Amino acid sequence: MKNEKVKSEKQISLFTFSLLAFFLLAWVWASWWMGDIFRVAYEQSFFASDATLMHFLLQKSFGWLWLAGRALLTLYHWPLLGGLLVTLMLTATTWSMAKLLRGDGHSPFYILHFTLSILPACAWMSWTAWTGLNLFYETEPGRTLGVLLVMFIVSAAIALIVRLIRGKAAQEQQHSEQDNRNNITLSLIPYFLSLVLSFAIPVAITHLRHPYARPVTRMQVQLLHDDWKGMVATAHDNATLSYRPLAAYYAIALVHTGHLTDALFDIRLDYDSLYLYNYSRKPDNGTNYYLVDCDYTTGLFRAATHKAMEHLTMNGPTLYSLKHLTRLALLDDAWSLARKYLSIIDKAPFESDFVSHYSAMLDNPDAVAADPEFALLRRTEPVIDSFESQHQEPTFLGYTATLTAGRTPDALMQSIMANLYSKRMPDFLMRCEPLVGSMPPRTIAEGLVTQCVKNPDILKAFPQLQMNAQIYRGFLQNVQSAMTDRPAHARELFDSYRGYYPYYYFFGNLKATRKATDKEHASSNVGVN
Amino acid sequence: MIENRPISLSTHRGHTRDGLLFVIYQLVIIITISVLTACTSKPTSVPTSFIDVQDSLCIYPDYRDVTVPANIAPLNFIVTDAEATEFVANIGELVCGATSDGKMGFDAAVWHRVLSGAKGQSLAVNVYAHRKAGWVRYPSFNISVAQEDIDPYLSYRLIEPGYELYRQLGLYQRDLTSFDEQVIYENNRVFEDDHNHCINCHTYQNYDSQRTLFHVRAAHGGTVVTNGSEAHKIAIKHDSILGAGVYPSWHPTLPLVAFSSNKTGQVFHMLHAEKIEVLDEASDLILYDAETNAVGNILRTDRMLETFPCWSPDGTRLYYCAAEMPTSIPEDHTAMDIAMRYDSLLYNIYSMPFDAATRQFGKPRIEVDAASMGRSASVPRISPDGRYLLFTLGDYGQFHIWHKSADLAIVRSDDFAASELQSSNCNLLDCEILNSPAPESYHTWSSNGRWIVFASRRDDGDFTRIYIAYFDADGHARKPFLLPQRDPEYNTLLLKSYNVPELSRNAVCISQSQLEHVVLHTEAETAQYSPISNVY
Repeated sequence: MKNEKVKSEKQISLFTFSLLAFFLLAWVWASWWMGDIFRVAYEQSFFASDATLMHFLLQKSFGWLWLAGRALLTLYHWPLLGGLLVTLMLTATTWSMAKLLRGDGHSPFYILHFTLSILPACAWMSWTAWTGLNLFYETEPGRTLGVLLVMFIVSAAIALIVRLIRGKAAQEQQHSEQDNRNNITLSLIPYFLSLVLSFAIPVAITHLRHPYARPVTRMQVQLLHDDWKGMVATAHDNATLSYRPLAAYYAIALVHTGHLTDALFDIRLDYDSLYLYNYSRKPDNGTNYYLVDCDYTTGLFRAATHKAMEHLTMNGPTLYSLKHLTRLALLDDAWSLARKYLSIIDKAPFESDFVSHYSAMLDNPDAVAADPEFALLRRTEPVIDSFESQHQEPTFLGYTATLTAGRTPDALMQSIMANLYSKRMPDFLMRCEPLVGSMPPRTIAEGLVTQCVKNPDILKAFPQLQMNAQIYRGFLQNVQSAMTDRPAHARELFDSYRGYYPYYYFFGNLKATRKATDKEHASSNVGVN
Repeated sequence: MIENRPISLSTHRGHTRDGLLFVIYQLVIIITISVLTACTSKPTSVPTSFIDVQDSLCIYPDYRDVTVPANIAPLNFIVTDAEATEFVANIGELVCGATSDGKMGFDAAVWHRVLSGAKGQSLAVNVYAHRKAGWVRYPSFNISVAQEDIDPYLSYRLIEPGYELYRQLGLYQRDLTSFDEQVIYENNRVFEDDHNHCINCHTYQNYDSQRTLFHVRAAHGGTVVTNGSEAHKIAIKHDSILGAGVYPSWHPTLPLVAFSSNKTGQVFHMLHAEKIEVLDEASDLILYDAETNAVGNILRTDRMLETFPCWSPDGTRLYYCAAEMPTSIPEDHTAMDIAMRYDSLLYNIYSMPFDAATRQFGKPRIEVDAASMGRSASVPRISPDGRYLLFTLGDYGQFHIWHKSADLAIVRSDDFAASELQSSNCNLLDCEILNSPAPESYHTWSSNGRWIVFASRRDDGDFTRIYIAYFDADGHARKPFLLPQRDPEYNTLLLKSYNVPELSRNAVCISQSQLEHVVLHTEAETAQYSPISNVY
């Protein structure tokens, strides 16, 4: 009798230990593994206690639930704290389920029951991982934590009701009888396996389905802290991943670090599927994900305002759009408008730093001019008016590539790089004319030598590129065999030629290559006619 | 077992600790309640001792020295004074208090009693602030109460002001005597591709909500026409007309609607004082008969762009705007050809007589020659007594709600001759008090002609808000006031624009569910083409 009691206590200790382990693993998952994703979800959300501001949400079905989800998400302002909250709900759900299913050591099938107890938490984590950036992209950001809240409340309520129905005394008696009857084999391994599996599944899903999600959101969080070098480092650490948002935020970081002309092609730019879905639940290439950031960084403030307003229209207010609109209003000397946005952001918890920083610029053009970020971005602001629809989309590329008048040399460099990226070589060469006689930056030099065969005058204009031309010829010899099937060899050659423009020209972003080729054909047809 | 282990609290020390905790707990609750009560209680009486200060009173909305109708809802406002912890305002017997947030919310019943008793008079508003040194009183301001009321219902569309996409928007009707807002129709609250639609251009026949219409675009498209508590959806399309009806105007007595039919596009500036240009590549005028479901062209021209029709109050003339395409725009022009010359399109206001018996239109005549001034006129609205023409005057184009240069302008009907506007000192009435550096447009008259309601972006430059101004019998406009809200901060926090304010004498008598049924579950009935003969 005494032995059986000891065994049962051991089971409970095991259960307690497992629950503790679950808690710790869940905290690591929710605050570290998923921390940046939820942190960005927080930025793409908005929560305030003001009914006017939340009306757009409250009028929807389940609006209160999504509001609650958004409220919980606000704690992800600090991912450790947000992660702790998620962990507590996951652990409490698991504990409730364990009590309900007697996976806490009171059942002869305790391992099975414990596994079942973990199942809701595992299912939620797996669903969250499967959703990826659609956790907030063109969908309701409060949904994920709203569902978790329901799961937590329902499991706790059922456990409580069952406990009340069973009756505590009867339950104890039953437990005692069962404990006495069964000779349970105690083992840590099944608990351990259940635990590991419950976390391995969501981690694997994120890793396999959305490998870009963590680096991209990491870069976005670094952007929030103006950690441009950190963004570059994150992109370099994930250089073999090839996704549009990653490339976009990398380019943004390069603009800020001044390395656009020598490091743009250091990462793969081929663009695999994002498994993202738009408002209509149709596959989406994620352009809207970074459009506002890119337009803003290239100094196209009006285009950024346009896109940010559309973001606001489609998603309702989000911290992301409101913060952008605040900055853009300040850049436009629209003080009343900036004040309005700041007063709205001020209604959200934990945003006082942003509000106080930018409030100091209200009615103060000198303070706006003195802001280093604004000063940098204004260097590439347009100097002549045009309409967005006159330029190819996305505007930050289409406008920049066809730039005819720039405010500073930075604008010229951005234009040259946009053409190199788009493989619009005639436009690229035209924009390089002001560089004749000087030693162009490395990537531009590499771009120039790719055109030497078609246009030998380039080497006359840039005689210092002889060495680059020689290296280029060596490159062509080395990759000659791969030219017959470029898509098949693109990935294997990347490690050898990472950052080398001719590699990108022939093997990178092959979709852009096709476009450029089509365009060249179209031009020649015009000439023939 | 752990669960069976008794937990003993019955020690003497335990009792003491519990008692102490209970006392602390009670104290915390009492202190919290006291603090919260102290923080949230508003002063309810006018301070007996105070010092008069000359500091300028900072209130939002700026209701200082405005003229209001007696039937308007309370003009709640926010007082800002960083040093003050509480505020009091009084208008005669009407007293209102506020905590440090400065939000003054007047009692509606007392408000209406005070205003009803002060028609034609001025009421002094005193505002007091409680600073560290004690109560102070700012210089008082006046609110004048007009003799004439305003129509009690105001309809508008609420939509985000940017720019191409739409998700959730709706038509609403506000009871101006209170803060009640009724939904007339709302589109998709949740985005669904198959049901995504836009709604616009709501209008009433002669301030009466018996006959109304609004357009539905994209999914479930058509024009919803209501007659009393019945509604149906029509499709105005035919090879002989340019396209669907756009800007509408109900004939004041007949079941006729004059529409413009526009091929409209918009372009976005990359570097300009204005953000957007809304341009017509082509536009004509059409007439729709709601009884026979027939449509015909009033004006179908190639090189003239006619838009914004508006009937005179007696229904004998149709006013509209029109611009001649500059010769620099080629015959086979594209939308971009128009866009590139956006600032060369100057609209004038014309009118043409209408014979209700024969349903024939006469020869157009120019009413406001804005182009000769190098300016552009849009959205004509005739006062109910027929004496005044209210319109917007901007530097170019017709979609003035996006033009900072757009101001309201008024001319007397006896000055409607084109020659009057050809000099820089044309006979425009002085209504500068209505205008601001931001755009003003979407204006309308009250049914008694004493009130002008319009939309303006003056608050922040982007989000339109509704302003109401008194217009006296001598043709003088008074300082406009912002549409009052229960929470005066509402106008700051709302991220939507007020669009096309329309006054009516009565509430819309058709339910939202009926309209939803018509929009979502009925097919639009296509209008028949019926040519209209013009007598010129």
